[in-house]
Amino acid sequence: MTAATVSLEPGQRFPDLDLPDHTGRDRRLSEVAGGDPVVLVFSRGWWCPKEQRHLREMTALQDEFEVAYTRLVVVSVDAPEVQSAFRAGLGARFVFLSDAERRWLEPLGLLEETDTLHEPYRPTAFTLHPDLTIHRAYDGNWYWGRPTAEELRRDMREISRAVRADFER
Amino acid sequence: MSDLPAGAAYLAYDGTELHAGRGPGRCFMIDARCLHGEPVAGAYAHVCALPDADAALAYDQPEIQQVRRDAMAWWIGLLGDALVCLTTLALDEARYGGAITVTREPVRWEDDPFARIFPGTVVRSDLFCVVTPPAGPVVERYAGVAWPGGTFAPKPGAPS
Repeated sequence: MTAATVSLEPGQRFPDLDLPDHTGRDRRLSEVAGGDPVVLVFSRGWWCPKEQRHLREMTALQDEFEVAYTRLVVVSVDAPEVQSAFRAGLGARFVFLSDAERRWLEPLGLLEETDTLHEPYRPTAFTLHPDLTIHRAYDGNWYWGRPTAEELRRDMREISRAVRADFER
Repeated sequence: MSDLPAGAAYLAYDGTELHAGRGPGRCFMIDARCLHGEPVAGAYAHVCALPDADAALAYDQPEIQQVRRDAMAWWIGLLGDALVCLTTLALDEARYGGAITVTREPVRWEDDPFARIFPGTVVRSDLFCVVTPPAGPVVERYAGVAWPGGTFAPKPGAPS
């Protein structure tokens, strides 16, 4: 893994990424979070069978995220138009952010060094508080390192309990 | 019409024209961001609503959920840079009265998923400003504010 210029450890604030979304509109991660807990997934790209499998699992979770005031965000080096087509194929309704220019790869230290063809992100995932504080980090280089649906439900429950004043009445 | 919640604004529709405020016509609550900015002159508002007082459905009905999911899945992307803003129309914290999609130019209105609930009418308007479309996947409403408005984020300066 390349040397990061920011810390991605739990308790640290995740950088407020500024990237175009799958429609080409400029977004900021904080704006996409919109005051809600976030699952932030860094994905190699549409071509990777592991990413295809994992993002189908994320898509299966979106119905729960829709009704639970929580957000799903995917970042890859795919161009917006490629992301838009991939998203449509998945049936996803969440946001993809495009770092086709690879501006955040080095600051985040998330370059996938074993793939010299695509120069993609290393598959990682972070669960974030609404203010982008990192709750938990997952390294999915080996597929089983990725968060399962149950782990994401647990993390969203823990964050929601912490940030929703009326979580337990 | 209930009291105006934070993040909401009044908009009236008489069947042919839209008016900022509670009248003339039927009064709805919308995502206030659509009116709080530099308005786009001569925009096209596809009003999928009726002026009749009984044209309302429960916000939580599955078909209302589904048209918002369709908006997130493909309607917003289909509109591209033509999109100015969109908002659903709330009658109160529980009832849906329709939706409006505003664009800079005529688009494929026949594909508007919100027209499946109430038929659409194109109205030229100078009221609406550009709003970044919702990020998704959240389709629930925040404390009854018309989707996609509202947030549970603490207000700036509020105690944490």
